Amino acid sequence: MRSFFVIAAILMGACSAEPLPPLVATAVVVTRPVPGSGTSAAYLTLTNNSEQAIRITRVTSAEFESVQIHESTLEDGVARMRALPELRIPPRKSVTLQRGGKHLMLMRPDGSADIVSLQFFDGQSLVLSVDAMVETKAH
Amino acid sequence: MGPKNFIIAIVLAVALSVGIFVATRVQTPPTLIAGLVLPATTPLPEFTLVDQSGNAVTPDSFRDQWDLVFFGFTHCPDICPATLQVLSAARDQLAAAGHEPLPRIVLVSVDPERDTPELIGQYVGYFGDGNLGITGSLDELRKLTAGLGIFFEKQPGDGKSYAVDHSAAVLLINPDGEFHGLFSGAHRIENYVHDLPLIMAGK
Repeated sequence: MRSFFVIAAILMGACSAEPLPPLVATAVVVTRPVPGSGTSAAYLTLTNNSEQAIRITRVTSAEFESVQIHESTLEDGVARMRALPELRIPPRKSVTLQRGGKHLMLMRPDGSADIVSLQFFDGQSLVLSVDAMVETKAH
Repeated sequence: MGPKNFIIAIVLAVALSVGIFVATRVQTPPTLIAGLVLPATTPLPEFTLVDQSGNAVTPDSFRDQWDLVFFGFTHCPDICPATLQVLSAARDQLAAAGHEPLPRIVLVSVDPERDTPELIGQYVGYFGDGNLGITGSLDELRKLTAGLGIFFEKQPGDGKSYAVDHSAAVLLINPDGEFHGLFSGAHRIENYVHDLPLIMAGK
């Protein structure tokens, strides 16, 4: 399999004296929608640098009509996919979204953009914005 | 060393040499990493579905080549494309290594409500040429899946947005059109590259 085109969104400030941003996304991968499917998946690691838990309750993207937080499971030989009400990132911890596990399901693309923007909300407040390159064809 | 001990030493040495000789000559059958061959192959149940070109698919459509059959749906963003990528990459590696025959990759939709022949054709075509996409009526689909022990269940959702739970196994159908073996998930390229030639050669 060809290596994925990965953009790591490093949001660390240039000045080392500044405090770390509370939430950082790294290793962001957005899959190209398979023709016929109209769905993509996004995988990334979210790191909480703060002392409080961060809850991601909603994710939006200008390039997709709908974004849902999902989890795939493989149990007793059956593959399942469920929407999660939220992603909780404990204080000073990371949560990794990866293939076959938690992921963002991006539905109904608005065109075929090569760059996808993702906005992460905790309730009404925007806690993180990330731009990511859509991976080149994986096959 | 007395003569008795000397004889014992010679006997042991000879026994060891014979043991090593036999051990290097006896072929232990190669073991499969992930694939499972059924103790008895079984014919496919009767069903009539359609392929991406609208042609009828029946048990006879599975004759004359090896088929790797996965059950999934095109609106699945995570496990389904990942599995088809694994099968496709394994097939490419076998082709690059000069293996014959190569299996055909087949996706049977467990979401016939949304997966039209056109959609499933675009989907399987993305993972390589020669792949077969199958959809059709729910009743005919159930004949196939139930006959093969494959589970699927549409989940509650919001209008056109819903998921379908489904068995994660990839079934192997032999050139006589019989259910021959299977790979359970999670699927790995190296397991297929290792096991498929062994299974296909053993037929």
